[in-house]
Amino acid sequence: MTTVVAQAVVNGLLIGGIYALVSVGVTLIFGVVKIVNFAQGEFVMIGMYISYWLATLIRLDPVVSLVVSMPALFVAGLLLQKFLLRRVLGLGDMPQIFLTFALSLLLMNAALLLFTANYRTIQTAYTFSALRLGPLYLSVPRVIAFALAMLLGAALEVFLRATDLGKAMRAAAQNREVAMLMGVNPDRVFGVAVGLALALAGAAGSLLMPFYPAYPTVGQQFVLFAFVAVVLGTLGNVRGALIAGLMMGLAESLGVQFVGADSGLIVVFALLLVTLAVRPGGLYGGETR
Amino acid sequence: MALAAIGLPLVVTNAFALDICIRVFQFAFIGVAWNLLGGYAQQLSLGHAAYFGLGAYTSTLLLIRAGVSPWIGMIAGGIVAALASLPIGALCFRLSGPYFAIATIGTAQTLMLLFLKFRDFAWGAVGTTIPNLGNSPLMMQFASKATYYYLALGLLAVGLAITYWVGRSWLGYYLVAVGEDQRAAEAVGVNVPRIKRDIYLVSAFLTGLAGTFYVQYIYFIDPNTAFSFNVSVEAALVSIVGGIGTLWGPVLGSALLEPASALLQSWLGGGAHAGVQLALYSVTLIVVILWRPTGLLGAVTEAYVWIVRSTRPPASGAGRAIRKGAPLDG
Repeated sequence: MTTVVAQAVVNGLLIGGIYALVSVGVTLIFGVVKIVNFAQGEFVMIGMYISYWLATLIRLDPVVSLVVSMPALFVAGLLLQKFLLRRVLGLGDMPQIFLTFALSLLLMNAALLLFTANYRTIQTAYTFSALRLGPLYLSVPRVIAFALAMLLGAALEVFLRATDLGKAMRAAAQNREVAMLMGVNPDRVFGVAVGLALALAGAAGSLLMPFYPAYPTVGQQFVLFAFVAVVLGTLGNVRGALIAGLMMGLAESLGVQFVGADSGLIVVFALLLVTLAVRPGGLYGGETR
Repeated sequence: MALAAIGLPLVVTNAFALDICIRVFQFAFIGVAWNLLGGYAQQLSLGHAAYFGLGAYTSTLLLIRAGVSPWIGMIAGGIVAALASLPIGALCFRLSGPYFAIATIGTAQTLMLLFLKFRDFAWGAVGTTIPNLGNSPLMMQFASKATYYYLALGLLAVGLAITYWVGRSWLGYYLVAVGEDQRAAEAVGVNVPRIKRDIYLVSAFLTGLAGTFYVQYIYFIDPNTAFSFNVSVEAALVSIVGGIGTLWGPVLGSALLEPASALLQSWLGGGAHAGVQLALYSVTLIVVILWRPTGLLGAVTEAYVWIVRSTRPPASGAGRAIRKGAPLDG
């Protein structure tokens, strides 16, 4: 019995790494630009398709294709901020929500038209391998995904804490006006924030490819988990999003194990309700970091 | 314009054209219902399909299991939807802005899953048809499309009347206050939670009515259409494109979007081009948000005024000066 639980915990944490990546992206954009990116899941999807086509056409390993998907999506983020997000910055909730929401619909349906709804999978040499740790099995592609996700998360944390640009981003997240008074260029900082967030989404997509199918609406479930994780981890708090993402993976895995196979949404909703009821400010109680 | 709407079926008998008009009215009505909550009070719900589905299923269940006339079932459906909005609102209003929207998406999805899972209660994924009773007005089934047209028009009129009345009442002022700046409204003494709850009740009730009409018109229901995310999106879309927070906005939005989408569906067939409709909707939404976030009604009104002004004969010197940009001379 403990083996079953332990295995569920391990599986949950491993996929939680991906959820954490996506959540960090959402919270980064929300913290710095103060916009909730409904389309974050679609950028994960784009990352997946990039890796899929690279793997199919030139046999590039999806994990290696990170070096393509991440920069590509970083640039996409810069463009997104410059041409779309910047135009709705001061306008209030409604245009912001519906802009990213419409973008999400557009990307999903464009993918549907371009790539059809067929599930796309790739198989690498290690897709089906697993490491054994005592009685537990750790699926190799998931371990790789987890490790790299954690690495990227740590790298982001270092960037935010140690570099000037990172500090500027945190400043802009905490108080935009004062940051501007201190000489922070909001356009540049916002652009980088969105770029980084989308790059992380792309990374998540590439890391998913070895063990997850790509299809136009694949982003939706990830973004749902990400949103709850962002609330749970405190809006705008990167570390919180990381931890909460892992928790979401854990909760989902345990839910699937003990409640039922399609309990994903229920888990998400239950966690959201519990968070709202018990600690609406999230794990870090309202600190945007 | 109202006379034209009433007189239309007497002139136009093409079933397809009438069907498009009915769809326009249907979604205008749902949009009007959404607009009360989303436009006036600025609580952007993306889960109104929950109430649509509840209304539809309530009347269908009453009809098939208990033989109750859908006229009663429609009101019952509206009440069920309104009652559902109480717990949903209690939970979701704790969140603001985008997170409220996400939570509402979650509620509609949850209801869909519930109805899909519990087959014994409500037929599950298979859905059900309602028995075709021929022309039986007492059971809300009519032989002629024109009657459905008038019913849809009537519902829309009710929705517009309610919106108009609310807009001019104290509730309307409180709604706009809550929508524009919730904290300021609280500071001034507006009972924000109660206002939100009240308008959600009305909005949900009306959406529930729309659900019943839909089932009676289409003769079929299943969880995927009743709680469809598309319904939620269209409810918001027609209001935003047309003119959020205005009386006629949803009507304009629906009049623009529904015929376009119906024509598109018939041209493209729908099989190989499954995503075109939503892709076009989303592009429209992006364009409108970037160009005219308050909706096209403002643009249409301005265009109308401009046309009227430019066809009027030139007035005296003072009148000419008052027109746009003209320097005041003399």
